Amino acid sequence: MSDEHSRPGGGRGDILAELEAEVAHELEEQRPPAGGPAYQVAAALVTLAVGVLGAVLAYGYGLGSLRRPGPGLWPFVISTAIIALSVVLLVVGRKLTDSEQFSRSSVLPLAGLVTFVGFAFLLPVIGFEIPALLLSIVWLRFLGGESWRSTIAVSVGTVAAFYALFLYGLGIPLPHLF
Amino acid sequence: MTSQTTIVIGYVPSPVGEAALEAGLAEAAARGDDVVILNSPRRRSTVDAELIDETASDELVARAAAAGVTARVDQSDHGDDIVETFTRVAAAASARLVVIGMRRRSPVGKLVTGSDAQRLLLDLDVPILAVKPPR
Amino acid sequence: MDAFLDGFAVVSQPENLLYCLIGVLIGMLIGVLPGLGPAATMAILLPIVVTVDPVAAVIMLAGIYYGAQYGGTITSVLLRLPGEASSVVTVFDGFALAKQGKAGTALGVAAIGSFVGATFSIILLSLSAPLVASWALDFGPAEYAALALLGVLLIATIGSGHPVKALIAACVGLLFATVGRDSFSNAQRFSFDSMQLADGLDFVVVAMGLFGVAEILYNLEERHGKVHVPAAVNNIWPSRKELKEASPAIGRGSVIGFFLGVLPGGGAVMASLAAYATEKRISKTPERFGRGAIEGVAAPESANNAAATSSFIPLLTLGIPANASMAMLFAALLVLGITPGPQLLEERPDLFWGVVNSMYIGNVLLLVLSLPLVGIFVRILRVRPAILAPITALITILGVYTINNSTFDIFVMIAFGIVGYLMKKVGFEPGPMVLAFVLGALLENNVRRALLIFDGDPTGFLTRPISGTILVLFLVAALFPIVQAVRHRRVATPDETHRREDSLR
Repeated sequence: MSDEHSRPGGGRGDILAELEAEVAHELEEQRPPAGGPAYQVAAALVTLAVGVLGAVLAYGYGLGSLRRPGPGLWPFVISTAIIALSVVLLVVGRKLTDSEQFSRSSVLPLAGLVTFVGFAFLLPVIGFEIPALLLSIVWLRFLGGESWRSTIAVSVGTVAAFYALFLYGLGIPLPHLF
Repeated sequence: MTSQTTIVIGYVPSPVGEAALEAGLAEAAARGDDVVILNSPRRRSTVDAELIDETASDELVARAAAAGVTARVDQSDHGDDIVETFTRVAAAASARLVVIGMRRRSPVGKLVTGSDAQRLLLDLDVPILAVKPPR
Repeated sequence: MDAFLDGFAVVSQPENLLYCLIGVLIGMLIGVLPGLGPAATMAILLPIVVTVDPVAAVIMLAGIYYGAQYGGTITSVLLRLPGEASSVVTVFDGFALAKQGKAGTALGVAAIGSFVGATFSIILLSLSAPLVASWALDFGPAEYAALALLGVLLIATIGSGHPVKALIAACVGLLFATVGRDSFSNAQRFSFDSMQLADGLDFVVVAMGLFGVAEILYNLEERHGKVHVPAAVNNIWPSRKELKEASPAIGRGSVIGFFLGVLPGGGAVMASLAAYATEKRISKTPERFGRGAIEGVAAPESANNAAATSSFIPLLTLGIPANASMAMLFAALLVLGITPGPQLLEERPDLFWGVVNSMYIGNVLLLVLSLPLVGIFVRILRVRPAILAPITALITILGVYTINNSTFDIFVMIAFGIVGYLMKKVGFEPGPMVLAFVLGALLENNVRRALLIFDGDPTGFLTRPISGTILVLFLVAALFPIVQAVRHRRVATPDETHRREDSLR
């Protein structure tokens, strides 16, 4: 495993750096490949846009003076910091490898997101039981690749458990149908 | 002279898997087959207690050799479910036979938790030898 | 001293003991399970936890945090799979020991080391906290502002991820904190005429989105992790000889852990790394490391528990959270109506000493329970993650609804979940954003108040001695990484290391 450990202690930085490299290697195993510079640039542009938007809006709220700060002063300062840092990131960030590629399996979080939104819309209308059941079924069967037998069992069990836990155990009211 | 044939043995470290291994090795030794010992992980799990480690895997190969059979252990991830896994491995090895172990189950038990062996028996195209461990 | 003993009276109330037990059990569990870390779990459980008595709630949340440090070790040793980022280093020698048939030794030494490290840290905490708190009572707005600023900066730079990205994330967090009514001028900022935004963003909702939902969505994406074979646990306890060998390492690890834990942005991960590196450096036989050196397990495990405990100090004495989990505790305190800060010790000694003393008991519980429960945890790990995913999702979404009975909150949480997920994909850490968000109001209010006191003269921050010193430290902390980067140009990307580490949190 760590058979590359042949160097005896050099300077303090060496061991720590070696260690960190090994740790990084350990953790590399499970990640998708790094996204390219496009990801980094896109991210920096997004934060730049956020900074600009914030600065413009903050200016509109009135900066006041240092003696009597207006409501917009603090957000303005923060926004300019964001702009400055984003520019720095644009310059130095291109070769970073800490992003992850979106792949076909990135559809799964998207689907999960859609179920969350659907749940939020349905909850006040028909209570939590049915949306929870539906969400559970989608997550287990379609996102998780479980068999139908396992899906139904876990879904029904989970909703029942939540019913008991929230409504009886904790006494926290939830909109419910049954 | 017939060309070399292969049989696939589905193995887990339990009496059921041991029964399959015994029967499979005996069959292979009798007919001069090569053996693929299939011990692939259940996909999407963090931990699979039915997987064997390197030491155990080497032991199995040695046991096969002692019985006069050339065996290799296959632990790669082949698919989402067990039928797919066996189908792929059997096809890749052009296996003439698959050997699996079966637990003795009550009908109710099978209904509640499902039975992998039953699905294999029903769905797999390759001939199957299903072995039960001794009582 | 009386307050200290009264604290034990508080802890020994059955309700508090129960919540302590629940907290450490949950903590161990999520330490074992990959995917969710203590900060995310605390965020997700916040709405439920705050319905109980404040002292019990804080005891439980604290238990989750330091309990997780025990749990992460189990998977590191048995599966070569670190459950928590702070247990990554334990993998090197811990798993090697397991392969040699000495998994029990590794786990036993880790448990004892963890216990000693934590207890050492708690004792120092008990002694130093009252001193720090009383000294900090003299702080004025300028000092608080400087301190909060230093905290945010340290977390961004020392902490995980690329410093520039972390700083951007922190600044965006500060920006989000300004949404709503400005307390000084009563003007509305960034609320776009929405009534629900007029009161600002609820930080429990934001935290649940950035930590909870983002993590859940991220885990949905298929990671091609190997499936692991658990190593057998044969001997349960280390031999006396092994314990003797490990003792000095435990001692050193505890000290390193305590000091690195107090530092905002430092914490358990850095402590475990530093402790391991130290052991390797001062060892006469460094080639043993990575092959089953007992010090390689003892030191990082003591360090990470010591650090986890000492990271409570800045929160409990100054009101500054040192890491993401402490930020969750900060949020919980605010929701419970308690303002963290130096006055906490005076105003709520029952809470302060109740929590501190619960840590003694919690660690005893963990020491006693962690080994017998190993078998159960391995069995729990056999449950496929796909089954746990919807359960976590439902707890999160139902929980956020119960805070204000508001569907709007669910949407806000989802929105921040999307933000958090995208951030993780492009290499930003949500941690600094949450922390800065939680500190944002505090920081802004103190800066403005200080400016009012100085009559608009910003050099006032520098002329006051305490805030001046803090700001000098701020500059040092800001420039140090740049200096380091210039000096260590050819070192393999440490930012990537931290990034991946934190993704395990």
